[in-house]
Amino acid sequence: MVDALREVHRVLAAGGTLVDARPDSRVLAYAEQVTPKGYRRVGVVRTSARELPNDQASDRAVATVVRDGLFKRGGVHRFWHRVPFEDLDALRDYLSEHLRFERRARWSIDRRERARIRNEAFAIRRAVRWEMLSRR
Amino acid sequence: MTSNVAHILGRQIPSSALRPPAADELAQWGGPRVVRGKRVLDLGCGDGRLAFGVAPYAREVVGLDPDAELIKNATAKASQQGLRNVRFLAGAGQDLPQGDGAFDVVILSWTL
Repeated sequence: MVDALREVHRVLAAGGTLVDARPDSRVLAYAEQVTPKGYRRVGVVRTSARELPNDQASDRAVATVVRDGLFKRGGVHRFWHRVPFEDLDALRDYLSEHLRFERRARWSIDRRERARIRNEAFAIRRAVRWEMLSRR
Repeated sequence: MTSNVAHILGRQIPSSALRPPAADELAQWGGPRVVRGKRVLDLGCGDGRLAFGVAPYAREVVGLDPDAELIKNATAKASQQGLRNVRFLAGAGQDLPQGDGAFDVVILSWTL
């Protein structure tokens, strides 16, 4: 990763901008039921333990090129977006196939309530961290 | 909510379908001014989600990704849309083919 960032530094003009945006594993993602009034939080979705070292390696790579004087940080930001699902089964299918997250949500509603709303629309609300760095 | 992922899971879909729309992501970064009139490299561009999103504003956009099939599809899409300021290349981020100082903005979106 550091090698790629050094290449980015090379191809950027002086004062150019590097935008680094990626999933934010510092915070939980949320399972939500879509209701007529908005979104109801019904559980949390954790980042897979296998993905955390990758995220940490990315952080270290950026820190390395900043420390080496190649880039200047402009502040880290976060935004949220929702991945929509037709129903609860679709959300579960997504988690079972998607390597980034744990394979099961941790529900804050009981089994009976999940069964009751299983045909409703759902979403996973997840965080994205982004940072703008200036080429030195 | 503009699309329903559940309908397309199970088929081969681009991972970008599960990511924020390019316009939303660009808006978070400060909007079109970030790329307006600039030479932009979208490194790890995948199917071109962000490259296509910034193309209306940028002077030139290059999308680079190691997946040759995605690059082929993105190139065809750019051609279909008549975009003259966008091109896609297969390659690795550790060995970029461009010369020094070739870009004003480099985007690593869901790449690092």
